[in-house]
Amino acid sequence: MSISKELYKALEDVLGPDNISEDPVITYSYVPRNRAAEKATGMSTPMFEAITLPENTEQVQAIVKLCNKYKMQYKAASTGWGPYGNPTAPGCIRIDLRRMNRIIEINEKNMYAVVEPYVLYATLHAECMKRGLNCNITGAGSNCSALPLAAHANLGQLSVSGSWGERNLLAFEWVTPDGEIVKAGSFGSIGEWFSGDGPGPSLRGLIRGDGTPLGGLGVYTKAAQKLYHWPGPSVFPVEGVSPQYHSPVTPNFMIRYFHFPSAQAQGDTMMKIAESEIAFILMGFNISMITSNIATSNYEERELAKEYLHKVQGPGCVIILAGNSPGDFEYKKEVLQQIVEAEKGKSLDLVEDPRNAGGYIWRWTRPTGSIREVKFRANPSGIGAGMLSCSAEPYPLMYKYVGTMVMDKMNLIKRGLARLESADPFVLQLVENGHGGHGEFMVEGYDNPESRKAMETLSNKVIETGVNGCYGVPTSTWGDRLHDMFGPRASNYHLWLRKVKKTFDPNEASECSNYISGKEKPGDQPIKGFSSLSN
Amino acid sequence: MPLKDYLRETEVCCGCSCCKFIPLEKIKTERYSYACPSVAKYNFNTYAAFGRLAFLKYLADNSLEYSDKVLEVIYNCQMCGACDISCKYAMDMDVLEPINEIRIKCVDDGQTLPVLDKLVDNMRKQGTMVPGAKVKRGEWASGLNIKDITKDKVEVYFHVGCLTSYNKDMSKVAKATVDLMQKAGVNFGIAGENESCCGGRAYQMGYKEDFLKQAKKNMEMIKESGVKTLVTGCADGYNAFKVLYDKFELKGSLEVLHTTEYFARLIKDGKLKPTKKVDIKVTYHDPCRLGRLGEPWIHWKGEEIGRTRIFNPPREFMRGTYGIYEPPRDVLKSIPGVKLVEMDRIKEYAWCCGSGGGVRESNPDFAKWTARERIAEAESTGAEAIVTACPWCESLFGDAIKENGNALKVYDIVEILNIAI
Repeated sequence: MSISKELYKALEDVLGPDNISEDPVITYSYVPRNRAAEKATGMSTPMFEAITLPENTEQVQAIVKLCNKYKMQYKAASTGWGPYGNPTAPGCIRIDLRRMNRIIEINEKNMYAVVEPYVLYATLHAECMKRGLNCNITGAGSNCSALPLAAHANLGQLSVSGSWGERNLLAFEWVTPDGEIVKAGSFGSIGEWFSGDGPGPSLRGLIRGDGTPLGGLGVYTKAAQKLYHWPGPSVFPVEGVSPQYHSPVTPNFMIRYFHFPSAQAQGDTMMKIAESEIAFILMGFNISMITSNIATSNYEERELAKEYLHKVQGPGCVIILAGNSPGDFEYKKEVLQQIVEAEKGKSLDLVEDPRNAGGYIWRWTRPTGSIREVKFRANPSGIGAGMLSCSAEPYPLMYKYVGTMVMDKMNLIKRGLARLESADPFVLQLVENGHGGHGEFMVEGYDNPESRKAMETLSNKVIETGVNGCYGVPTSTWGDRLHDMFGPRASNYHLWLRKVKKTFDPNEASECSNYISGKEKPGDQPIKGFSSLSN
Repeated sequence: MPLKDYLRETEVCCGCSCCKFIPLEKIKTERYSYACPSVAKYNFNTYAAFGRLAFLKYLADNSLEYSDKVLEVIYNCQMCGACDISCKYAMDMDVLEPINEIRIKCVDDGQTLPVLDKLVDNMRKQGTMVPGAKVKRGEWASGLNIKDITKDKVEVYFHVGCLTSYNKDMSKVAKATVDLMQKAGVNFGIAGENESCCGGRAYQMGYKEDFLKQAKKNMEMIKESGVKTLVTGCADGYNAFKVLYDKFELKGSLEVLHTTEYFARLIKDGKLKPTKKVDIKVTYHDPCRLGRLGEPWIHWKGEEIGRTRIFNPPREFMRGTYGIYEPPRDVLKSIPGVKLVEMDRIKEYAWCCGSGGGVRESNPDFAKWTARERIAEAESTGAEAIVTACPWCESLFGDAIKENGNALKVYDIVEILNIAI
């Protein structure tokens, strides 16, 4: 299938000739060619039929309406790190939101920011810091979109003090799958952005939950998010030349990596720190996350990891304290000391060293080291998966979940179907000072059919284990298959989600391979009286 | 290296978009966050390094056919290397090298732009790529009583560069350089009519064989003259002699210095003493090929082990770390009365002037757009002048300022230094 001349001309009339292209040199560059998968399957990597570059909401609406009219699917994406923005079959055009890159408003008094989809977190954060404000940044990195509807779960290093996407989202503007412009929350009634729930229509529960539709439910064109207090400098004084950047430790800031004699001690420490509400950043990280955030090359990273793997007594966590005043800073330090001493935690010299500490602080605050953190692990033949839990004891729950999955992973490693990379647990964290917990693990596979099959089986098991064990909400429930697996255990939400998709997208224009389709399935019957999450 | 040998780089690229922006921790404002002029101007991912590496895969196995659009994308890039630096903050991979290789393949396949062919043809015939160069190369030096390295024994060869030699507006920089060397008592000479293009710009455009011919020709002349040190004020020339000639193992033991390095050294040694006050607030523009692309070539031979980009023997990538950033600033700081204020994008992540890679000749509008972006950034500092260390930057800034009616002045560092001595 290719785009018809009629549709192309209509799109060109909306966007101008410079902002649409179907030339292969343009379309090929939007989807990284997966040569290994091509070889394994004998199929070509699917490409978009055309790429469009709208400048504003009205142009997005026009594209969406034309796609509905001409039976062409579309998929919108912004910074696009991850495969969710890619097409899965012919018959789809890309709405590249790069020209929609404006910070609409930073409201200092009411502490929120309104952005368009292509504003980077690095940019929004820089502008916020100047105003004494801070935003939660997705852990994937500040190279990602700052739209709280683009960065999926939007969990990150700052989530212990800065929450996550589902909770930070305020009012928003949405082009529905069939081309209506919806202004939700306070923006819908009085044109202001301070609330996602009203006065005005609250559709937050429709357009996102823990995760987002990943391009499967129209296009989000503007959104507001909650901001937090920032006690640090207006600009981090980063010195040196790339990649050898360094920085003095910011006044009233402190960073430590504590390692513990047991997982129990680590978990108890993290829960106590969270409950005492002293942490600006709190992350359960393995040692390779520490070394990857200081290494300037892969070789250096490997050598550092080898060296420091034997210098820790057990699992550990990173904590950054940010004092609002010298007195507040002293208080937080004292509380931390008491907690850590009680659990026999030891500080890692690599992080405590003043020559490194300043750099560690901004790399995780902004966060800018994430690309080195994940580059080995994110590969086409591997999987990454996580779970978010809001419960009385989220940390032990997440630890148990990740621990269970790691056992499966070790089994695959023993059988030669996955790689040993010493990266567990990838992430274990507490959010909102312990109201929730989040755990992630990653597996590196091989580019062979046996390993691919094993990864597919494991990705199913990740969800099954999560939902059957009542661990929480999987952060990677992407596509019909996984929603259908999870839904019956969670109040049959998948049936409602399918109805939402069908109602708002009658022509199936918004490409939904990573969301849920509107087509009813044979098994789409409510299972009355059963919900394992509520049991 | 053939294009197919870079396929591994395209697999390593994780599509994070960092190649579009300056290193993330350096972003201070919304306005000046972009590093890549090409994607900032043309918007499609294709124009960023990420996109270029993505379509490289198709070019490598000939599944992407050449078209006007393909060539338009390939040649609308200044080859400034900003993408390379931002990527390599976290990644161990080559970025600019494969992008350059795409152009080399284009030339090999006869897929070039007529305007660039004409330039290179000019270099083949006249030894320069300056369009319309009609005057004699050494005419600017007439009456200055400068030694000729092809006839006289000298310690330092001053390679003037094409634009400085042929452009009457730029010869003032050559004269200031000569003046300063004479004041410092340096035994130096020029090659006059025997000077020839360094070939660096031809290489950026993909004309590798023409570049190599120029390089061999130049090094032959230099070896015959017996000079051990070459000084140039052209950042393109500096990159060619110091980095590219070394890459192809043609440089030998020749010491290559930029005028700013050389004069910073003379000032430090007390041979040049800036004493006259020059009351001016300036901002410094780092030329790409003096700054991030001015670091020595790192020779490496070995193999990649496994899939995590570990090499045997360990490989150090060129990341712009050892570029020339401080000597130009040291020179400016040594001049009484000069107040240096910095732009947001400096040193290894400086925004390009717009002139490189053949863009000035093939797409002057894009070149000037890029220059105007830099001029706006310079003006935002409150500086009266933008000072640089490359004739191509100075000339393009000058043209853009004139066309736009900006009040900003533009100088080469040596012009200001010469006033102070």
